[in-house]
Amino acid sequence: MSQQQEVAVTPVKKRGYSIDTWAVLLAFVLAALVRAGVFKHIPW
Amino acid sequence: MASSVALSQMRSVNPALQFLKVIPGVLLLAAVGYAGKLLEANLGKYAKAHHWTFPNIEYVLWAILIGLVISNTVGIPEIFRAGVATYEFWLKAGIVLLGARFLLGDVLKLGGTSLALVGIEIVGAIAFMTFLGRAFGLKPKLTSLLAVGSAVCGVSAIIATQGAIEADDEDSSFAIAAILALGALSLFTFPLIGHTLHLSDHAYGVWSGLAVDNTAEAAAAGALYSDAAGKLAILTKTTRNALIGFVVLAYAFYWASRGQAQAVGNKAKFLWQKFPKFVLGFLLISTLATAAFFSKEQIGALANLSRWAFLLTFAGVGLRTNFRALSKQGLKPFAVGAIGEVAIAAFTLGLVLAAQRIFGW
Repeated sequence: MSQQQEVAVTPVKKRGYSIDTWAVLLAFVLAALVRAGVFKHIPW
Repeated sequence: MASSVALSQMRSVNPALQFLKVIPGVLLLAAVGYAGKLLEANLGKYAKAHHWTFPNIEYVLWAILIGLVISNTVGIPEIFRAGVATYEFWLKAGIVLLGARFLLGDVLKLGGTSLALVGIEIVGAIAFMTFLGRAFGLKPKLTSLLAVGSAVCGVSAIIATQGAIEADDEDSSFAIAAILALGALSLFTFPLIGHTLHLSDHAYGVWSGLAVDNTAEAAAAGALYSDAAGKLAILTKTTRNALIGFVVLAYAFYWASRGQAQAVGNKAKFLWQKFPKFVLGFLLISTLATAAFFSKEQIGALANLSRWAFLLTFAGVGLRTNFRALSKQGLKPFAVGAIGEVAIAAFTLGLVLAAQRIFGW
């Protein structure tokens, strides 16, 4: 039973990157899309 | 029982559910920010057509004001809260994209000057806040949190330090409330002081980056003055943020030496964990822009993407500020924070005015 719990809880502990890292990844993806010409013009 | 625990844990971290949960709040951020943009564009025209005298109010202030009105009247319904809390995520993505508007040489030059000023600010702010905390009889760890929050970078620094020095949650929420309340006030007082003293965009931007504690408020206070001041406020604040690890490490050593916190094992790992990664992202995009990796049009597109990200941030600054909740957090920490912030603002203003003379900003 405890083993079952341990297995189930593992994904919570190991989960993901910090908000900083996600923000950097999103910015890089957007920059790559702009560089690749997917977004040619972003209006403001 | 094990399976029910497991299922609820699994459900709570389901990425698809997490994503769906933030959508309503992100849409609210976008709606509030866009309403601010529409008001800026149309209210001036309307006033002019009707021969009214109406000041030109920037979208930044409109977005913050609309957010403040919603937050302090009807409040933020539960369904929007997770999404509204993403405003810091948009801020950081916006800062990374803003790197495209800085040539690396300018970053190093401006960052070098900022670094010297930031170093003086951090030492002065920590010393003064520690003195004030003792004079007011605050708990020592609460004093440490207030000192770090006002010296380095507001809420993130307080949260990072809380873990490192094992401070109480209550101390942390007192310190965060004081820093947020004072950050909200700075949005209205800083531009007023800047205009009264006829500060240049450069001097004002550096001052906002040095004296306003939370990154979102520093960016907003800068942008409220001018676009150029906003850029410099973010650069200076980012320089301050980059030093967070060193300050938290120093406090961790201090409290560990007094036997009131765990000793730090691997110092390099500790510094890396506390280092704000978006600073590296900003530098990388700036390096790419300097190496002509992006065309002029592409840099314009990246700059506009960064403006949209900041639009969501400014809406979030207003929406998450609830004056009633902040006022419940106790008078003493707020008094220490307020006196300290006024002193730090005056001290950094003196630094900036001296630098303005030396460097001819």
